[in-house]
Amino acid sequence: MEKEDLVSNNPLRALGLEKEEGAAGRRVGLVMARAGLGKTAILVQIAMDSMLRDNKVLHVAIGEGVEKTRAWYEDILDLMNQEKKVENFQQVVDEVMQNRMIMTFKENSFSAATLEERMQDLSQQGIFKAECLVVDGFDFTEADNASVLNELKSTMEKNDLKMIWLSAVCHRDDERVSANGVPAPCHEFDEVFDTVLLISPEGDDIRLKTLKCSEACSVDAGKYLIVDPATMLIKKA
Amino acid sequence: MSVDLSNVRNIGISAHIDSGKTTLTERILFYTDRIHAIHDVRGKDGVGAKMDSMELERERGITIQSAATYCNWKGNDINIIDTPGHVDFTVEVERALRVLDGAVLILCSVGGVQSQSITVNRQMDRYNVPRISFINKCDRTGANPERVTEQLQDKLGLNAHMLQLPIGLESELEGVVDLVTMKALYFDGDNGEIIREEEIPADLQDAAEEKREELLDAVSMFSDELMEAMLEETEITTEMVKDAVRAGTLALDFSPVFIGSAYKNKAVQPLLDAVEYYLPCPTDVENLGLDLEKDEEEFPVTNDSDDPLIMLAFKLEDGRYGQLTYVRTYQGTLNKGDTVFNTRTGKKVKVGRLVRMHSDEMEEIDSCGAGDIVALFGVDCASGDTFTDGKITCSMSSMHIPEPVISLAVIPSDNKAQVNMSKALNRFTKEDPTFKTFVDHETGETIISGMGELHLEVYIERMKREYNAEVEVGAPQVSYRETISARADFNYTHKKQTGGSGQFGRVAGYMEPLEEGEYEFVDKIVGGAIPREFITSCDKGFKKSLEKGTLCGSPVTGVRCVINDGAFHAVDSSDVAFQLASIGAFKEGYMKAKPAIMEPIMKVAVEGPSEFQGAVMGSINQRRGMIIGTTEEGNYTVVEAEVPLSEMFGYSTTLRSLTQGKAEFTMEFASFKPVPKSVSEELVKKYQDERKEK
Repeated sequence: MEKEDLVSNNPLRALGLEKEEGAAGRRVGLVMARAGLGKTAILVQIAMDSMLRDNKVLHVAIGEGVEKTRAWYEDILDLMNQEKKVENFQQVVDEVMQNRMIMTFKENSFSAATLEERMQDLSQQGIFKAECLVVDGFDFTEADNASVLNELKSTMEKNDLKMIWLSAVCHRDDERVSANGVPAPCHEFDEVFDTVLLISPEGDDIRLKTLKCSEACSVDAGKYLIVDPATMLIKKA
Repeated sequence: MSVDLSNVRNIGISAHIDSGKTTLTERILFYTDRIHAIHDVRGKDGVGAKMDSMELERERGITIQSAATYCNWKGNDINIIDTPGHVDFTVEVERALRVLDGAVLILCSVGGVQSQSITVNRQMDRYNVPRISFINKCDRTGANPERVTEQLQDKLGLNAHMLQLPIGLESELEGVVDLVTMKALYFDGDNGEIIREEEIPADLQDAAEEKREELLDAVSMFSDELMEAMLEETEITTEMVKDAVRAGTLALDFSPVFIGSAYKNKAVQPLLDAVEYYLPCPTDVENLGLDLEKDEEEFPVTNDSDDPLIMLAFKLEDGRYGQLTYVRTYQGTLNKGDTVFNTRTGKKVKVGRLVRMHSDEMEEIDSCGAGDIVALFGVDCASGDTFTDGKITCSMSSMHIPEPVISLAVIPSDNKAQVNMSKALNRFTKEDPTFKTFVDHETGETIISGMGELHLEVYIERMKREYNAEVEVGAPQVSYRETISARADFNYTHKKQTGGSGQFGRVAGYMEPLEEGEYEFVDKIVGGAIPREFITSCDKGFKKSLEKGTLCGSPVTGVRCVINDGAFHAVDSSDVAFQLASIGAFKEGYMKAKPAIMEPIMKVAVEGPSEFQGAVMGSINQRRGMIIGTTEEGNYTVVEAEVPLSEMFGYSTTLRSLTQGKAEFTMEFASFKPVPKSVSEELVKKYQDERKEK
C-alpha cells in the first residue's frame, strides 16, 4: 500500500471535493456538530488529505493545546494505517507531518489580524507557506463573526490559500436554520461557505450530512456519509 | 514489627528549575524540627540549603542529585525526595517517582506552568503518582496563582482547583484563606512558625464563598455523602470536603492547589497538612512486582511488614563510608544484620548498617518495615536491583532509562589524574545509569556520554573537585547511531593458514532491520553446519561489529542477524575463527543493507514574548528544526519544535541575542531519526578523513 491509499476513505474524497481544490477557485468549508461529536476528527481527516498530497496545512486550534491537536493527527493516521497497512509507515508519518503546522490561541487572543500577521511572518522567512487553513474552535456566537469571516477570506486571497475549513458548534435547543438547512449560529451567513457538513447521530450511526455543497460534489446536498463512531473514519458513502 | 502505614507518606518534590523547591524543603525541615535554622539556596551566610549538599549545587543554585530526607509532622512519618528540575537530570526524577506514593508539584506564581513542569507532570502520569500543587513565590511581583491554576488545567490537563485564596499578593502577601475550613491563616514569628487563625477578612468573604462553591462542585462527584449534603442543603462538614478531595486526588481525577511563599515563610504548614490529608499512604497505592517463577507475571505487593521482604534499590551513592544504597521497602521487615538476596545476580548480601538519610547526614536505625525509604551500607548492587529475603523470587518493575545523546572526550593531564579519573568514572557510572563511559579503541581516548551538556559538565566538575582529576575536555559530540534499512544476505568464509593450526569458519545468513530493540541474534542452523559450541562465537562476532559502524564509526542498532548456514573444519575451526567469520559476514551484509546514520532529535520548547515569535521560529528553522506548533497566550508565546541535537550547540547564546534575553528554552530527547543525505555524506567523509590521519 502507498501513502495515497491512506486517504481513499477521506471525507473529501468520498464527497469528490478533492479534485476541485485550487482549480475552481478557493473554497471555504464548514463542519458543524453538537459539542463532543467529532468535528476535530473530521477536520483532521480533511487536513490529512491535503497533507498526503503534499499541500502545507496550517491547523489553528483555538482553546486547545499543541500536544492535544498533535495527538489527533497521530491517532487518525494510526487508525487509517490499521485499515490500509502502508509500507514504511513511520517514514510516511515523518514525511507527512512536515506538511503541517499547529498554531494554538487562547479563546480571547485569537483574531484574524494576528493570524494574518503570523502567516506572513512564516511565509516571508520561508519557514512555512500554508496552502490550506484549518480553524478549529472558532466561536461563531460572537457578534462580529461575519467580519472575522470576511477577514479570513481576505487572508485566503492574500496568502493564496486553496481552502479554509472551519468548525462550528450547534445546539440542540436552537432550532433556527437557513434556507439550506444550515443551523444556528451559522444560519445567517451560510453564503460564505461553499460546503457545509453536519455530523449527526442517528440511532447507532453517525452521519456526515452534506447540507450545502458545490456542483463538483459527488454527493448531493441532503445526502450523507456514514462515519464509524469508534474511529470517526468514513465507513461508506 | 508492625507499623501503622496509614501514618507514612513517601512523597517527592518535583518542579521546574528555580521554582523554589529546595527552599520549600528547607522550610519543611524547619517546621518539623529536623533543622533549627533556615539557610537560603544562594544565601549570604554561605551555608546553603540543607538538601543541596553538593558543593556544585550550592554554587549554581540548582539541585543536581536528589537527596532523601525524613521528617515527622503531627505524628506522620514523611519521607521526602527532593528531585532535580533540569531536564538533563531526568533519570533522578524518574527514579524518585518510581518509589514514591505521592508528589508535590511546585510552580512559580509568576512563571506558571513551564515546559519542565510539563515533563515532570508527564513522568508523574507514567507512574500514576497522585499529586498536589503548590504555587510558590506568591510574594513576587506579578504573582498570579489563579492564572497558574488555569494553566494547570489547560496545559497539564489536571482537574486542578485552589483550596486556598491568597490574603494579599506580591509584597502585600499576608496569609491564606482555607476554603475547606473557611478560616483565614496568618503566619507570625520570625520564621512564620506561629499560625494565627482568624475570621476571613470582610473584603474577601464573597470571593471565598464563591470559590468554595466552585470547589465543592468540583469535588462532590468523589463523595456521595458530600453530594447528598449539597443536594439536601444540610451541613457540609470539613471532614466531608477533605474526604472528597482525598478520594479525587488518589484516583488521579482531582489535583488540589495550595499557595504560599516558602521564602517568606507563608503557608508551608498547611501544605504539610495537605500531604497528610490528601496524599496516599503506602497501602493506598497498588505497586506491582513481577513473579520470576511465573514468567514475570504481575502481582500486587502486600505492604505488610510481616510478609516476605521485597525492596527496590533506586539510587546509589559512593560516600565517605562506602557505597550507600537507597531502598524502598514494599513489604516485609529488614533488620540490621539480615541477609538479603539480590534477585538479579542471585547473590546473598549481609546488611551491616541501616540508616535513615537526612540529606548528607544519617541516622542509624535497627530495622525498617513496609513502605519505608532507607539506605543500606556496603551492599554492592546496581540501581534498579530488587532484594528479597529469599522466600520469594520476584522483581519490581524495571525503570525507564533514556539513552545518552551527547558525548565528549576526556583526557587526563597526567598519570595521577588518569588513576583518579578511572575511580571517578567507576563511581559515576554505578550511580547514574544515563551516564556512560568507554574507551575509543582507535584513538585511545576515554569518552563520556550523557543526557546533555550540563549533565556532562557537572560530572567533569565533580571529577575535578571530588577526585582531584585534572582533565582536558574535547568538544561535545552528538551520539549518532547507525542502522540498516533493508534486508541483506551474507556468506563469508574466514580462512587463515600461517603455519601451525589455521583458522577456518564460514557464516551465512541474512540481516534485517529490527523494529524494536537494539540487536537480536537468531540461530537457524540445522544439521550441524556450524557446531553448537561456535554459535555463541557468531553472536559475539556480530556484537563486536555493532560497536562501531562503518559509515561514521557510531554504534549500530536495530539489527537482527540470522544465521542459517555455515561450514567448519575439524582442526582449524575455533571460537576466534567463528568470531572473525561473523565480523566479516557482518561487514559484507552491512553495506548491502542500505545503512543509514541516525541522529538524536530533541523536543525543544522556546518560551518568550510574542513579539519575538518570528525571530525564534526563524532561528529554529535555520537549525534544521521542524516547528510542531506555537501556543499564543496573551503576549507570551511558546514555540514547540523538533530539532537535531547537533544544531543546538550554542543556541542559548543565539536565543539571548535574538530576544534581548527575554526568551528561554528547554529541550529533551525525543527520538533518533535518519540524518539528511548532505549531513550523512559530511559525517562519512569526516570519519574517513579521521581514519586516514591515524
